[in-house]
Amino acid sequence: MTNVEQQQTADDIIIIKDLNKWYGDFHVLKDINLNVKKSERIVICGPSGSGKSTMIRCINRLEEFQRGSLIVDGVEMVEDVKNIEAIRREVGMVFQHFNLFPHLTILENLTLGQIWVQKKPKAEAEAVAMKYLERVKIPDQAKKYPGQLSGGQQQRVAIARSLCMAPKVMLFDEPTSALDPEMIKEVLDVMVELADEEGMTMLCVTHEMGFAKKVADRVIFMDAGEIVEENTPHEFFDNPQVDRTQKFLEQILDH
Amino acid sequence: MSNTFKSDPIEFKPTAALPAPKSTVGPIAWVRENLFPSISNTLITLFIVFILISLIPGVIDWMFISANWSGTNQEACVSDGACWVFVKAWSQQFFYGSYPTDQLWRVNLSLILLFAVIILSFTLPASFRLRVSIPLFLVLPFVCIAILDGRLVGLDFVNTDLWGGFSLNVLMAAAAIIVAFPFSFLWALGRRSNMPLARSISVIFIEFFRGVPVLALFFMGSVMLPLFFAEGTQVDKLVRVWIVLIFFMSGYMAEVFRGGFQAIPSGQYEAADSVGLSYWQKTLLIILPQVIKVSMPNILATFVMLFKNTVFLLIIGIPEVLQLLLTALSNSNWLGGHAVEGYVFVGVIFWVCCFSMSLLSNKIERDLDTDKRD
Ligand SMILES: Nc1ncnc2c1ncn2[C@@H]1O[C@H](COP(=O)(O)OP(=O)(O)O)[C@@H](O)[C@H]1O
Ligand SMILES: [Mg+2]
Repeated sequence: MTNVEQQQTADDIIIIKDLNKWYGDFHVLKDINLNVKKSERIVICGPSGSGKSTMIRCINRLEEFQRGSLIVDGVEMVEDVKNIEAIRREVGMVFQHFNLFPHLTILENLTLGQIWVQKKPKAEAEAVAMKYLERVKIPDQAKKYPGQLSGGQQQRVAIARSLCMAPKVMLFDEPTSALDPEMIKEVLDVMVELADEEGMTMLCVTHEMGFAKKVADRVIFMDAGEIVEENTPHEFFDNPQVDRTQKFLEQILDH
Repeated sequence: MSNTFKSDPIEFKPTAALPAPKSTVGPIAWVRENLFPSISNTLITLFIVFILISLIPGVIDWMFISANWSGTNQEACVSDGACWVFVKAWSQQFFYGSYPTDQLWRVNLSLILLFAVIILSFTLPASFRLRVSIPLFLVLPFVCIAILDGRLVGLDFVNTDLWGGFSLNVLMAAAAIIVAFPFSFLWALGRRSNMPLARSISVIFIEFFRGVPVLALFFMGSVMLPLFFAEGTQVDKLVRVWIVLIFFMSGYMAEVFRGGFQAIPSGQYEAADSVGLSYWQKTLLIILPQVIKVSMPNILATFVMLFKNTVFLLIIGIPEVLQLLLTALSNSNWLGGHAVEGYVFVGVIFWVCCFSMSLLSNKIERDLDTDKRD
């Protein structure tokens, strides 16, 4: 089923083994196995409802799973609050609907975690925040509230908010699918830069195939709770191995 | 209208805009649309107008034109209008109870502090509004008690038996809702909690205090609460009433907060989790401020209800404003039947307070509407 060798090496920052999850009777994730190397960029695609969000949300424990194991940067995901907190410190997440804190200014959105979780002094946290606001090209919006920004700007703020926490892994759950077409590019540009310059480990659920071709080391295709196919972007798009992948690609490329 | 602006300003002759068609705007159209849209509505309108015309002149005459305004005793009320002299003569009692006359500034100061904190909490810059106004609110009841009681701050001691009047209604309601605030937030959290014990305790508490009439609660407070205090300790009557009001209020407000919690999208919790905030950081820094904001109109509505319910304190002999009115009405110097004046007066002061609060809550609702931020 896989063309890329799955060997556990010392570089693996995420190790997912035989992960299974049920919602009641509904088997949403079936024997997921996935190793992610440091600085690796992975794009996850698949039809709606195939369990993509659920899988990446397991990585920072926004969802619990019932069977299997998950190790992030050497810390095993177990019930223990300490482990969960340790893993969340390593993992940043960007959501489809941005989920900025509406009652806080942009700057406060970015400093909150640094001040309360990392216990940084306020001035230092603000300096870090401004650095990342510049990276995402909206330092002039620092004093505004999220509701005053466009969708694309809000999503860039959300990316900056995660980066401020200096995560080792970034999870993106369809970061551009709630955006108007003209704003998609500004967000993707930021993500491409992040991949190129920071060498960030990235797992990105997206159907932006241009983005996948440009930055992904591996593309993973999920369907009905399983990883059906995984391959380099080149092979994945030009030479899909599995029927279901072919059908899916036909559907999204038709448009 | 096709007035194009020509280069020479002298030639510019704007034609007057046509007035809007009479039938769609203006007072006449409004009246027609709202008062006489159909035969049955027309009849109802005419009937109401008839009632108003036959009542209003009499009421105005009684309240203002033939009313007695000056004088100090019952004999001054000679004409057959309202005897406002009665209200005037008792006004200090109605507002302050038996609080010593030379110490009344302490009651006024407490009221001023209360209004100052309320105004601050709506006018401070949003960035630190909650951080400043919540602590201010929380210390306020205790500061007011210290001022009114006097012993802690080096003033003359005024026994709580002497506190009373409308100021007591206001301060009692405010002190109860403020202390109830954090409790109700905890009850609401408990009701949402995953822990079965916390959840069932919260549900039982909330439903008990929402389900039992406030009068019954007051009786229980004055009769049963003393059983829970250690033998021999005398707990002040006002303190007992305060505790009952706090419980009563926190049951209602817990439900208000529960509604507020439901209005917060799950993405807010997830974002807070993914940033790494702990449960309490998430609850207090992210969720609470948003819950307060969306619940504000309902909090005010609940407060209005509590405020009006403070008149029931008369049942257990607390000298609140209505109790003092009854005392005044049975005073041997004022046996001329001034009940109507008294009740109108009490009704009006409550109405003024409650109406201003509902104006305030309308304003808040409008603000919430205009700065919708997702
Ligand atoms: N809280 C939930 N309870 C029950 N079923 C859920 C819940 N969340 C998601 N699901 C179901 O799990 C499946 C996978 O969802 P999801 O991971 O969001 O899919 P994707 O992100 O690939 O579109 C869907 O069929 C969805 O209906
Ligand atoms: Mg999804």
